[in-house]
Amino acid sequence: MSDATRPEPLVFAPKPADPPPPSSIGAVGWMRANLFSSVPNALLTFLGAWILYVTVAAVLDWALVKAVWEAENRRQCLDMVGRAGACWPGVAAWIPNLIYGLYPKDQAWRIDLGAVLLVAWALPLWLPRVRSKVAIGLCLVLLFPLLASYLFMGGAKGVVWTAAIALGLAAFLWCWLTALAEMRRGISFGALMARLLGARDDARAARIGQASLLALYLVALALVLPLELVEVPTRLWGGLFLTLVISGIGITFSLPAGVLLALGRRSEMPLIRVFCVTFIELFRSVPLITILFMFNTMLPLFLPAGVEVNRLLRAIVAVCLFASAYMAEIVRGGLQAIPKGQYEAAAAMGLGFWQSTGFIILPQALRIMIPSIVGNFIGLFKDTTLVSIIGLFDLLSMSRAVGEDTRWLGLFIEPFFFITMIYFVFCFLMSQYSINLERRLGAGQRR
Amino acid sequence: MSQSSAPPTAAIRRPATTPMRLGAFVNDATVRAIFYQAVTFAAVVGLIWYLVSNTIANMATRGMSAGFDFLDVSAGFNIAFTLIPYREGDSYLRVFQVGIANTLLVAVIGIVFASALGLVVGLARLSTNWLIRTLARWYVEVLRNTPLLLQIIAWYFGVFNLLPRPRESIALGGFMWLNNRGAYFPAPVPQDGFETVLGALALAVGAAIAVSVWARRRLRETGRAFPAGLVGFALVAGVPLLVYLALGAPLGWNWPALRGFNFVGGFSVPPAFCALVVALSIYTSCFIAEIVRAGIQSVGHGQTEAARALGVKPSRTMRFIILPQAMRVIIPPLISQYLNLTKNSSLAIAIGFPDLVSVWMNTSLNQSGRAIPIVAMTMGFYCVVSLIVSFALNAYNRRILLRER
Repeated sequence: MSDATRPEPLVFAPKPADPPPPSSIGAVGWMRANLFSSVPNALLTFLGAWILYVTVAAVLDWALVKAVWEAENRRQCLDMVGRAGACWPGVAAWIPNLIYGLYPKDQAWRIDLGAVLLVAWALPLWLPRVRSKVAIGLCLVLLFPLLASYLFMGGAKGVVWTAAIALGLAAFLWCWLTALAEMRRGISFGALMARLLGARDDARAARIGQASLLALYLVALALVLPLELVEVPTRLWGGLFLTLVISGIGITFSLPAGVLLALGRRSEMPLIRVFCVTFIELFRSVPLITILFMFNTMLPLFLPAGVEVNRLLRAIVAVCLFASAYMAEIVRGGLQAIPKGQYEAAAAMGLGFWQSTGFIILPQALRIMIPSIVGNFIGLFKDTTLVSIIGLFDLLSMSRAVGEDTRWLGLFIEPFFFITMIYFVFCFLMSQYSINLERRLGAGQRR
Repeated sequence: MSQSSAPPTAAIRRPATTPMRLGAFVNDATVRAIFYQAVTFAAVVGLIWYLVSNTIANMATRGMSAGFDFLDVSAGFNIAFTLIPYREGDSYLRVFQVGIANTLLVAVIGIVFASALGLVVGLARLSTNWLIRTLARWYVEVLRNTPLLLQIIAWYFGVFNLLPRPRESIALGGFMWLNNRGAYFPAPVPQDGFETVLGALALAVGAAIAVSVWARRRLRETGRAFPAGLVGFALVAGVPLLVYLALGAPLGWNWPALRGFNFVGGFSVPPAFCALVVALSIYTSCFIAEIVRAGIQSVGHGQTEAARALGVKPSRTMRFIILPQAMRVIIPPLISQYLNLTKNSSLAIAIGFPDLVSVWMNTSLNQSGRAIPIVAMTMGFYCVVSLIVSFALNAYNRRILLRER
């Protein structure tokens, strides 16, 4: 037997495929498929390119190329380029006012500190290996306002308020200590203290945990007691700061209130249902501006003589009630989307109303509702501009004030352009984050 | 301590008299429901009583009145723009009517423009052309993520207030002039016999409806189609036109003309109106565009393929397969956007256009001091509009509801 005599076995060896025609790959192919697939399509592309060129070129030309960057007043800007270019020095000079409003500039560090605290407090929510995220989040929502209110308002603090501020500070410290303990050791702050102090049994450890919380509170109290801040009345609040305060309070209030109203609307108790439906429908059917006007003119009438409600509080009450009516309808939509079997299964497990709602229904419903909830937050954020109509100095009012400043008389478009970008960045980030969150939380639902 | 150390049998031996019955009573669902409702009712009634009694006391000390008797009193201020006739010295009731007419005018015109623009942008977002698709996307993103009030004010101060003086007006198509005093159009002036043309129009619309009802019934009974749309259009457009020509064109036009420093004659709207309509239309068109896109995308691709498999022409696929199903998704949110536009028109107050809120809830309230009736009437108007729209919407939803099993 010799191998040489045998013929080569027949093996099917395909020739390598020809490369795709150059006109269907790369940039050329992409353009042929997406921009010039047919004659009408090509015409559309030219139309789009023309629109893009006209708008973008005009804006860039005005905002960057022909813009004036250094000038003493608007007169100089007009002398240099007329109306063809933007006059940015006016906006730059007003940036502190746009951000802090009429807040005394030597006290503005308090707002910065509040913002830093808020970010620092929220930071553990995104850190890995932190397990107490729910507790930290709840602390943030419930107790940050205690701390921030004094930071922003200042003035004399009574016994109760001092205790409340100390509670806020203690909560902040606890959140970070717990986050650090969980990141390094994987146990909570109380358990870490117990281990460090050498607790022998669980009862002892629990007591040490409680004692460390108390010690934390006393430390916070000691820090808060000597703290004296100058009072800044709310009528001086303004700018982006005021916009964020109003929308922040509105957002925090409207979600729980909306959940309660939606549950009330779906309740089987007729009286509660009637009250909730009336409230929701009344507040949803009228424009926000009429509600703001109503609270502005009628709240002093509604309250006993002598009770003064400042303008900011009136606006905040109106915004909160308005936002919770809208939120209620969104939550109702989410609740309706939960199949009946979930309710029945929860009841079969022996869960009561609040248990089944809190543990079974709401977590599922809230996940479906994320896009609408964030949409509502964005709407609320945009709607805070309406408080400028009833005389609060929010970001929009401050930007209109630039053109009334004698140095920058008539400068309207540039500040509008600037704050439009601020609003856009905030709203766009919120919507992108919601899309991201939805994708992440919905991962289990996809197939 | 004593309870936990007691033998476990103690709990069983405890006579099941009052505490158990009380427990059963407290845990009874009906009893609880009645209790919760009684508490809520008491709280709400108490709150209302508190507010009302405070209000009465406050109004007594300030010498205010809550009656509607001021409606007949002369308002004594002028209104910059009125759709219906109004003279300085007319009653407050007339001011209310003027405000409603102005609000509805803004709403109707805004709805027409917003729908047209929204449809175009919504279709552009679905375009196969990448550039058009991207442009439409950023149009929607930018305008939807900035406050409407800011847009209105920017259009007013940034565009319509900076227009040239009347002498250098911008002429658009020879029938519209734009300047810093507003926009000017020729106004129609009906002459003798124009009522007959309107009557003919009404008759033609009635006939067109009758034809379409008859055509639908014949289609259902015999399967033979009838071009009811074409015939209806011919009726509605043709009959009044023939009558109009037969009567010798009984409609004149009052053209605006430049006299001295301003235009005289014609129909004009102030710059604030233009800014308001443009801003509202553009802002709402973003939301409508998203609704149109979602509606068309909601019709499964299988529907198109099935229609093609059955040999339905592409144009008819859109008309008879895709659109009817998409409309089911589109109509409800679309109507609520129309309602939003109407409510948002109240932002007119920021640029001084005399809509209902501005002329009634602001000027009239400050002049007459009758806070309660004025606030109630303003909110009542918006509530009535919303209620009518939501009733219509519910009726429509019931009609188009998918009947499954």
